[in-house]
Amino acid sequence: MSVAMWAPILVAVLLAASGGQLGRRLHPAVAVPLLTFAALATALATGFVLAVAAFDAMAMLAPVAQLGHWSAAAVRPGGPPSVLLGAAAGLTVGVLLVAAVRRATRLGVDLGHAVATCRRLGPDADGLVVLRDDAPDAFVLPGVRGRVVVSTGMLRMLPPDERRVLLAHERAHLAGYHQLYVQLAGLAAAANPLLRPLAREVERGVERWADEVAAAEVGDRRLAARALARAGLARAGSPADSRWGLALHAAGRPAAVGARALALLQPPPRRRRWPAAALIAVTLVAIGGAAWTGSTTEDRFERAQADYAVAP
Amino acid sequence: MPGSSGRARGALEQEVLGCLAAAGRPLTTAEVQAGLDGHLAYTTVMTALTRLHAKGVLTRQPAGRAFAYGLAADMDEIPASLTARGMRRLLESGPDRASVLASFVADLSAEDERILSGLLEDRAHPQDGGPA
Repeated sequence: MSVAMWAPILVAVLLAASGGQLGRRLHPAVAVPLLTFAALATALATGFVLAVAAFDAMAMLAPVAQLGHWSAAAVRPGGPPSVLLGAAAGLTVGVLLVAAVRRATRLGVDLGHAVATCRRLGPDADGLVVLRDDAPDAFVLPGVRGRVVVSTGMLRMLPPDERRVLLAHERAHLAGYHQLYVQLAGLAAAANPLLRPLAREVERGVERWADEVAAAEVGDRRLAARALARAGLARAGSPADSRWGLALHAAGRPAAVGARALALLQPPPRRRRWPAAALIAVTLVAIGGAAWTGSTTEDRFERAQADYAVAP
Repeated sequence: MPGSSGRARGALEQEVLGCLAAAGRPLTTAEVQAGLDGHLAYTTVMTALTRLHAKGVLTRQPAGRAFAYGLAADMDEIPASLTARGMRRLLESGPDRASVLASFVADLSAEDERILSGLLEDRAHPQDGGPA
């Protein structure tokens, strides 16, 4: 494997180590789209170079070379690549592809459920549906026309000004297509597990983003933090949820409510340039590595085919 | 600002519905206005209630010389099992599923609980680092 082929893999490792940190230094409205783009591009680039590495090793085998009408010796002028490395790359890309397809299928099914549920929910007030349920709960159902679902139990818990925060937060999720970012980053992480920290940062980021939108809409960050605190404690204290179930769930949920509330007590995040520039630069290296690999591989096979035509 | 009026109206209808749902009983326009901290004009609230009634979100009955508005019974057509929590479970079942829901508040750790309780308790003393 050439240096260019390693570039996307190195970038994935780099993003795994520092992508989340960089994202946290950005305003969430910038961080979420950038991290999603970085994750998707890197996942595609890694998959591509792994596939090329596997194909390279396979192309050296005599029957394959004959089938493709290229000279096996000319495919790799710098000596034969390790067959073992090629096989490992092939196996990896196969497993990851299956994981990505499975994730995409599951997402399709889940989205179908959500859309069907949206349809059954009946009339709404500009996207808000109230369910008569004493247990405090509030969430967004994505769909063609997504809905904000809030239980009467949650609405009763909050004073009017904090209800405004809750509704503004959920509206921000729908208006900003936050679920799209979360799902795309999740897909990228399925296709390249190194990108999981990035996907978690996107999940955390959309909550922070909606918090910031809500705080700006009510014009009071402390009020927004209080709404978050009251809603969080109400949900935790509701008897319908067993503590055991919560603990199981908590590990997979990166958007810690406490940290979000504390962030709202700080001044609004500034819009910094350098972490954004760093993220874009690193992503371009991954894309560049894949593009370079693609073009040089094409050249090599063209030459190998020319060699085959001269002396098969 | 004419540009933001569309979003503002959406927010308004949601607030009005939220207020009625929290009350748990039919309310008159004046009661809804009072329940919203009185930051909205009476006519604004009345317009929102009329629109929600026209959409079928609210029902209304005469109460003296005005109307009292309540949540429409339509919402009870949703099977009883489909509470908010039931719906969440349906869509989120299993740790392996692509979660298509975004909750306002996720589950809390003990640390979260400590932070949040503190935040609600000392409203008079802003926490360290917070804007005074």
